[in-house]
Amino acid sequence: MGTDKGKINGRQLLFMFAGFIQGSALLIDFTVGITEHQTWMVILAGLIVTIPFILSYAALAKRFPGNDLVRINDMVYGRFIGKALSLYYIFFLSMTLSFNILDVGELYVNFLMPDTPFFFLLSVFAAVIAYAVYKGIEALAKVSHLFVATSLFVIITTSVLLADQMDFSRFLPLFELPFIKLLQGIHIMSIIPFGETIAFLMIMEHMNDTKGPARYSFFGVLVGAASLLIVSVRNTAVLGRTQTIWTSPSFQSIRLIDIGTVLTRMDFLIGIAQTMLIFFKCSIFLYALTTALSQLFGLKSYKPLVLPVVGIEVIIAATVFQSPVDHAEITQNAGIIYSAPLIYLFPPLTLLIAKIRGLPKTERSRGK
Amino acid sequence: MILYKKIYVFILCFIMLVALSGCLGGREINDLEIVIGMGIDKDKDTGDILLTAQIVNEKEAGGASGEGGGGGGKAYWNVNSIGKSIFDAARQITHKTGNRLFVSHNQVVIFGHDVAAEGLQKHIDFFLRAHEMRPTTLILVAEGRASDIMDAKPETERFPAMNITKLVKTYGFTSHLYKVNMKDFATCLMSGTSATFAPLVTVSQDRENKDVFVPGMAVFKNGKMVGKLSHDEVRGVLWVLGKVESGVVIVPSPDGKGKAVLEIVNAKSKVKPEIKDGRIIFHIKIEEELSLSEQTTRENLATVPGFGKVQEAAGKVVRQEIMAAFERSKELRLDIFGFGEMLHKKYKNEWKIMEHNWDDIYPTIELDIHVDSRIVSNDLLRRPASPDEGGE
Amino acid sequence: MFRYIFRRIRCSSLKNENDRMKNGTAPEKKNSEPLLPSLENNIRAIRENLRGSSDLAVHEFNFGHDRRYRGAIVFISDMADKDEINKNILQPLMFGSLLISSDADIDYTKIDNVARNLVPVTDSRKVALLYELLDSLLAGAVILLVDGSKEALAVRTGKRESRSIDEPATEAVVRGPREGFNENVNTSIALIRQKIKSPDLCVEKLVIGEKSKTDVYIVYVKSVADPKLIEEVRKRLDRIKTDAILESGYIEQFIEDDPWSIFPTVSNTEKPDKVAAKILEGRVAILADGTPFALVVPMLFIESFQSVEDYYTRPFLASIMRMVRFLSYIISTLGPAAYVALTVFHQELIPTQLLISIAEGRERVPFPAILEAFLMIFAFEILREAGVRLPKPVGQTVGIVGAIVLGEASVQAGLISPIMVIVVSATAIASFAVPAQTDSGTILRYIFLALAGIAGGFGVILGLLVTLLHLVSLRSFGTPYLWPIAPLNIAGLRDFLIRMPLWMLSRRPQAIVRSDGNTRSQGPDLMPSPNKGGGNDTV
Repeated sequence: MGTDKGKINGRQLLFMFAGFIQGSALLIDFTVGITEHQTWMVILAGLIVTIPFILSYAALAKRFPGNDLVRINDMVYGRFIGKALSLYYIFFLSMTLSFNILDVGELYVNFLMPDTPFFFLLSVFAAVIAYAVYKGIEALAKVSHLFVATSLFVIITTSVLLADQMDFSRFLPLFELPFIKLLQGIHIMSIIPFGETIAFLMIMEHMNDTKGPARYSFFGVLVGAASLLIVSVRNTAVLGRTQTIWTSPSFQSIRLIDIGTVLTRMDFLIGIAQTMLIFFKCSIFLYALTTALSQLFGLKSYKPLVLPVVGIEVIIAATVFQSPVDHAEITQNAGIIYSAPLIYLFPPLTLLIAKIRGLPKTERSRGK
Repeated sequence: MILYKKIYVFILCFIMLVALSGCLGGREINDLEIVIGMGIDKDKDTGDILLTAQIVNEKEAGGASGEGGGGGGKAYWNVNSIGKSIFDAARQITHKTGNRLFVSHNQVVIFGHDVAAEGLQKHIDFFLRAHEMRPTTLILVAEGRASDIMDAKPETERFPAMNITKLVKTYGFTSHLYKVNMKDFATCLMSGTSATFAPLVTVSQDRENKDVFVPGMAVFKNGKMVGKLSHDEVRGVLWVLGKVESGVVIVPSPDGKGKAVLEIVNAKSKVKPEIKDGRIIFHIKIEEELSLSEQTTRENLATVPGFGKVQEAAGKVVRQEIMAAFERSKELRLDIFGFGEMLHKKYKNEWKIMEHNWDDIYPTIELDIHVDSRIVSNDLLRRPASPDEGGE
Repeated sequence: MFRYIFRRIRCSSLKNENDRMKNGTAPEKKNSEPLLPSLENNIRAIRENLRGSSDLAVHEFNFGHDRRYRGAIVFISDMADKDEINKNILQPLMFGSLLISSDADIDYTKIDNVARNLVPVTDSRKVALLYELLDSLLAGAVILLVDGSKEALAVRTGKRESRSIDEPATEAVVRGPREGFNENVNTSIALIRQKIKSPDLCVEKLVIGEKSKTDVYIVYVKSVADPKLIEEVRKRLDRIKTDAILESGYIEQFIEDDPWSIFPTVSNTEKPDKVAAKILEGRVAILADGTPFALVVPMLFIESFQSVEDYYTRPFLASIMRMVRFLSYIISTLGPAAYVALTVFHQELIPTQLLISIAEGRERVPFPAILEAFLMIFAFEILREAGVRLPKPVGQTVGIVGAIVLGEASVQAGLISPIMVIVVSATAIASFAVPAQTDSGTILRYIFLALAGIAGGFGVILGLLVTLLHLVSLRSFGTPYLWPIAPLNIAGLRDFLIRMPLWMLSRRPQAIVRSDGNTRSQGPDLMPSPNKGGGNDTV
């Protein structure tokens, strides 16, 4: 746990969850290629499927107050298996972090600032998230509600401005796609926006709320999922069938706003909102990663690790994939496979074992 | 000490990052060639793509910076170049302009007649894929060559492309044409059964002035232009799609001595597909609101029975227009109305079977049209300015 | 090689530090010698300590029945009020003592007796040690020495020259009192006392500055301010060891939370009503002698957008003005950056007609946009700085010339584009709307401009994020700087962009006041209406 004595209260946790999930709004654009006009169903289904797992994370955090995942693993599984599990977790975090940094780069290179050198974008972005993590979790928690408010504003405004171009008959026919595609979509959806919240297991220990994070995480996830739902509904209603051909339907639907002569070029709205959100998401990942690493190696504080780790992440991000097509394929197919056990299997298992071994009772006397 | 070293290293890294990364993607405004209109033709000699780009000529385009700018010069510059594909031609333009084209502000893309007849499917890809292109760009087809259209200097606008944009965007005044942008075109292309259409544009030589106007719409099958729709036929389609905004409906007056001219105030449509006994019926219900704008007979039409008769006549006109459009579509074997998609949304299982033969099934569709017209205003006159013929 | 250079720089800076510490301000050795009973010795000691000061005056005289006692008054000739000395010291001692009958037999070598019976002055103090005597003497008191007494009497008669109470030059208001502090801190305290007549108002005195011995007062309302805050203020003030406190700004720079941050964490003001309002919210004011600017801690970011006038006018206009100020701040920091980012990197985001107009305007300009922007802003800074120091007769002319030269002529000559002039003018004017944040605004403007020039919109967004993170973790004397925005507090937000009507603002800011209750400053249900008569007592 080290030097970060910051405290988060419940409401901030809610906004952090919501902002985190909203940060994935552009990421899930690629599922439209698979689920077409039924994406909204898949989002809802993904939410319902993942909620019990998220609640299990919250239950774990409540059961072991003041302890983060690495310590919990150590306590529940013993030193060796626990550390192996934590290593798996760290691997997941670092991969996901580099993918997200890469996503920011791609967002800018593809849409907003096409001629900028890629590496420069990544490095500058990495420097900023390093700074954020350096300032501690409390700084991030305090700004979370600003990000969520801004992105909600952007989502609702763009939806309202596009209202005249929306055609809800584009959602019909309702159940056209074969179920296997829906299943794939649900799987992707539950892992990428919702399952990634496992990173919060490193953060929930800082809560000063004795009631436990369950209700805040639940509502936070609901708010995040609602935003994703509005985005997907808006895209489907506006773009209809063409949704499947664009690399980023959200982006193109915003480009269609053309009211009067002034409100024509609103791309920047999505740029601003999405940058802030991905920044937030990456900061949380980086924080989780560095604290987990510092715990694993028994360091007193996570701060010296921040810069080296982020440097490595940037290099991974810049070199790991050969092209966006490569990226999409690997994350869709391989990414969800290696994340699945971590998100679905281990937390409930940990909870079960903890319950069986009656663990927190003996640990409570240890305190922090 | 450690702090100073850290700051020093940080600043050094930052400077290296900035300085060594190259130009960092900024382009000064004056280095841009702002394109506001593009025309695609087939080059007569080689069969390659002839791209005409209308570029803003800043020196002449304004007079804001105290220079006056003359006013005699053209505010635009039509550059053309030939290439094997559109992107190739666009790059080749740099041989003439010295800078890459900046197409984010492009308003229209005009396809020449020959290109359209050959098929637009292969050319659309560039306009959808290039990230600088916006999906709100309008598409038009020229009756001749696109480069001629781009040359026609308009009277009230500075740029021909802006003029054309204006013409198309204000389709609602007559509802004789429709605004089609890239996204709509792509949507129709993606549907295997619906036909796409795009406004036609042509230039008429009228004394010295070249006037640009839109005589109708072109219809495409699988991206190839196969026919044209006249103004009335277009409005017939728009009635069904519910996209009529305003326009003029002329009906003969009930006493046969003149005409009643009505302005469309509002129009709504509801289409319900139905498959019954192996027959495909589309129930179309049109509701329109009109206002009496002009009457040429002396009989006062602004009475309840008068209105009733005129309404009925107006309804008949609407039916006529729709049927005319339908006949034409049957003739061309094109599903301009998008009936196929409507069937798809409601009867998805039957659609799976019908989809492949849609071209043959389409002519067998029946239309059941109900028109409900209502005259809501007669402007300022209670009765026409004619001698009183006894009884109001 | 770089390491060598670097090490040299480090070494030399270390050496400087050492030297400075040796010759530095060592605390004065206090002359803790007691006064001697002999008058001559005392006068000699004083003369010796004040060697070289030609304004020291010493006047010996005899008093008492039979002129038994010898006394002397010592003072700095320009600081003491000679009229008062004659009237209140010499006259009663020399003549008034004769009125007391000689039977009373009061021993005037006890200074107490002199003070109590003869000197009709309210403000006097006994001094027994030499340094105390010198301190009082140099502060303007008149020292009365009596031969044979081991103590002296320091009488503060001094009349001080100071400005009359005038409208503060930097904080003019349309509605509200026009009093401002002046350089005499006692007058300032008096002004505050006139606004808060409650016994809860505490005024603590400190003396800071080895050579200047400036009077510094901490003012707060005991029942409202958090004792931890008061303690922290005292602690930080006690830590200051410096030669002189010439202005409250010196104090500010010694006690602020983050000296490396560009955002001020200590607010200052010249108006007593503003200080009164702030300390009633639980803050602590620090007043220093010699300057009309009082410091108030802790400072919140939103305070920069609040002005006292907002509370005197009705809420609608006040809310609009608040939002205008907030927007002005944003315009003044982000204006040039946004212009550069949009026209250099993101031309697709500007509407077509506007783009064409801008392009026309920039036809003949030889500089890239960033350089143009930078030059214009810099030129404006020069104008501003020069404007402050212009002698009045020249002021008007130079102002007009500056505007015309920089604006019109440059555009005509094709050096800058007209749009740039508009952007920079808007920026400049907007920067004056929020005076508390001029230093942060000015620096941020350049930083954002540089970021926009390097990385366009991306750079600006990242810059905003970094600034936001910095602001969020900044604290001013323990209170989060961005309260009530960052730790979200709905009740506190009532006074940020919109100023809710006064009868709704019944709670004191929770982040600042003491936490044991006492958060309501007004009674409940105060909304005015024709049917309700009389208010409740305030809590």
